[in-house]
Amino acid sequence: MGVGNVFQTGRTGMMAAKAGIATSGHNITNSNTEGFSRQRVQVASETPRPGPGTGNYIGSGVRINRIERVNDEYIEKQIQNGARDLSNLEEKDQSLRQVEDIFNEMNGEGLNRLMAKFFNEFRKLANDPNSQAVRESVREAAHAMVTDVHRLNKEVSEASRHIDAKIEGYVGQLNANTRELTELNQKIKEMEVGSNRTQIADLHDRRDLVVKNIASLVNVTTHKNEKGDINVEIRGVGPLVNNVTAEQMSVFRSPRDDEGKVENALDVKSTGQTGTLTHLLKGGKLGGLLEIRDQTLSSIGDRLDDLAYTLADTVNSIHKEGFSRDGVQGLMFFKPIAGKEGAAEMFDLSDSIKASSQAIATAAQPDSPADNRVAIAISGLQGMRLMADGKATVDDFYNSIVSDVGVISNKNRSTLNQQKNVMTQLNKMREQISGVSIDEETANLMQFQHSFDASARVIAVADEMVKTVLDLKRL
Amino acid sequence: MRITENTNYDNIRNSIHRSKSRMENFQNQASTMKQVNTPSDDPVGSAKVLEIRTEKVNAEQFASSIHQADMLLNQSDHAIGELVDIMMRAKEIAISQSSGASSTKESRLGIAEEVDQLFQRAVAVGNTRISDRYLFGGYRTDRAPFTPEGEYTGDDGQTMVEIGRDTFIAVNVPGNEIVNTHPQKIRKTEELSRTPAEADEGAHPENVNLFDELQTLRIGLLTGDLNAIQNTLDRIDDSQGKLVAMRAKIGSRVNGMNGQLQAVERQTITNAQLSSNIEDADMAHVMNEIAKEETILRSALQSSKHLVQPTLMDFIK
Repeated sequence: MGVGNVFQTGRTGMMAAKAGIATSGHNITNSNTEGFSRQRVQVASETPRPGPGTGNYIGSGVRINRIERVNDEYIEKQIQNGARDLSNLEEKDQSLRQVEDIFNEMNGEGLNRLMAKFFNEFRKLANDPNSQAVRESVREAAHAMVTDVHRLNKEVSEASRHIDAKIEGYVGQLNANTRELTELNQKIKEMEVGSNRTQIADLHDRRDLVVKNIASLVNVTTHKNEKGDINVEIRGVGPLVNNVTAEQMSVFRSPRDDEGKVENALDVKSTGQTGTLTHLLKGGKLGGLLEIRDQTLSSIGDRLDDLAYTLADTVNSIHKEGFSRDGVQGLMFFKPIAGKEGAAEMFDLSDSIKASSQAIATAAQPDSPADNRVAIAISGLQGMRLMADGKATVDDFYNSIVSDVGVISNKNRSTLNQQKNVMTQLNKMREQISGVSIDEETANLMQFQHSFDASARVIAVADEMVKTVLDLKRL
Repeated sequence: MRITENTNYDNIRNSIHRSKSRMENFQNQASTMKQVNTPSDDPVGSAKVLEIRTEKVNAEQFASSIHQADMLLNQSDHAIGELVDIMMRAKEIAISQSSGASSTKESRLGIAEEVDQLFQRAVAVGNTRISDRYLFGGYRTDRAPFTPEGEYTGDDGQTMVEIGRDTFIAVNVPGNEIVNTHPQKIRKTEELSRTPAEADEGAHPENVNLFDELQTLRIGLLTGDLNAIQNTLDRIDDSQGKLVAMRAKIGSRVNGMNGQLQAVERQTITNAQLSSNIEDADMAHVMNEIAKEETILRSALQSSKHLVQPTLMDFIK
């Protein structure tokens, strides 16, 4: 046992203290980095050496075992799932707010009021079938109603297009994330190939974050294989990331399908799958957007078509039996629409009505200016259960669109608020374990600094010891 | 429990967000005075509100239909009233001229002139119109329904008007119903949807036409046929009876309408209350909540100040 060993002991102490200071510094600087887990220097005492006498061992300093990542895998997993649900709900909330704005019934003149006006103008006309002014205002009311149906229809398809643009963006993000995951899988495998395979904390944090980002885009399951790669599978579809290869997703425009996708909306496919994934992707932002587009918006669109078709068809079927002011029978009020598909877009006044309000038929027999039976029959459509297999009036039917949007949006929002609370709680739990506390790190800095000083002092003592020994000869 | 700076900041952010979003909601309610601003604020309520709004538009139309029908029926009533007066005078004439005592050739000729005037007045009354709408033409309201000879050229169309949901009322009386005690159907007007037809009164008894009687009376006067004059008396009574019956009919329609108008107005008030209950914000409550939120926000900010400031760094200099 020589004095030289004391130098060594001091040196290990200084090294350990330096590592501690460096790690605390790293923690402090990364305290705001997303997905960062605080790190700890794990030290152990160095294997002791034989000392003077027999069977005596003297400690020989400290050894840095590894840099530990303070992290709870279970909570990370929960956060991953929570983020998936949260981003799903948030995405839907945003889109639903837009959809709600389309139905501005609560504050403005929505279609509800315009339909009521349309039918009541016919009542007014029934009071005074011969009046030119009332005829004009009937036409005006019908025109306003038609215009508003067009507006609704246009805004619904615009909302759908807006969602498509977002889908395209998110698919790009998904591809970038899966590529990054394969890169990280590769890198981690390469760098951790050493003897005791210590984790490279920062790469693992980064990888967890990427997986979380993937999960927030679409519903996936993840698992670690025996080599330490994280593999990702889209639930209900198949593998997305396998070891170091990733499927690439892409979008393309395609015709209407019978699962709610409208004409020309985006379809999603992936390199590894035949057929489209559009209706298989659930959860996350993509799943949320697809749900709004292919269920909520698409159903609203269909119901507007239904409404427009029924209005045009039923009004026409009565109107064409009647006689116009000029005694002409068989005129249409609205342009005849062949089928429900696309009816909202084609909904329009007939050419004869556009040309002259005299073409509005009020009478059931010719040459009878005061005969208002046709006008009454048309206004009577307001109270007739024409929609939903004879269960709803046109008013009920339209109101139910509005209230359905309200119900969906309302339900989504309350789930979103719950999920926000869940996430807050989860994040708090994560912070408790993995978060960086500046106070704590500062205390650690001081502690390590003192430890550094003290270790240096050990070396100084050893130095003096050597000096003392050398001075023995001179004296 | 480890509390990190990020936990603190998250807490601060969350509490401020929560508070501000609640505040925004209440401010929105305060500025619109409504608690239902989007369908999702109250999905069921908003559907109800829309329903009520439609009802309101309908009710306004029903009220205005009632006013117009009231005007038309009143005009018809006045006109028929005038016919009653005419027939009354005709009856006086018939009574006074039917007995030889007071009836001389000269007086009869002079009075025949008056009957002629009565006849023309009756035609004019039959052709009463409001602006360009002839009241008694049935569906044919665009031309005079009675020729100068008292012949009816209208039809027996009944203009029905909706004065309440599925409640209809006829706003006209066809001229041939007025001047004939037992009119013949002019044309079978095929019924469309729910416009109810007036019951067809059996046409078997002998018909009395108002103009015919006036004419008979005049000719009787001109020819001095006292018997003929005498004979008109009963028939003039019949005709007058019919006129009175028509007025009664119109009167009962008007009564029915007034009842309906009250119902519509009552409904409007109920609907307004109902929709106000759903839609309108309780302003006292809203203002109270805003004040409360403001306090919460202030105290969140205030406490943040203490939470954020000191770190160990501040003490080791």
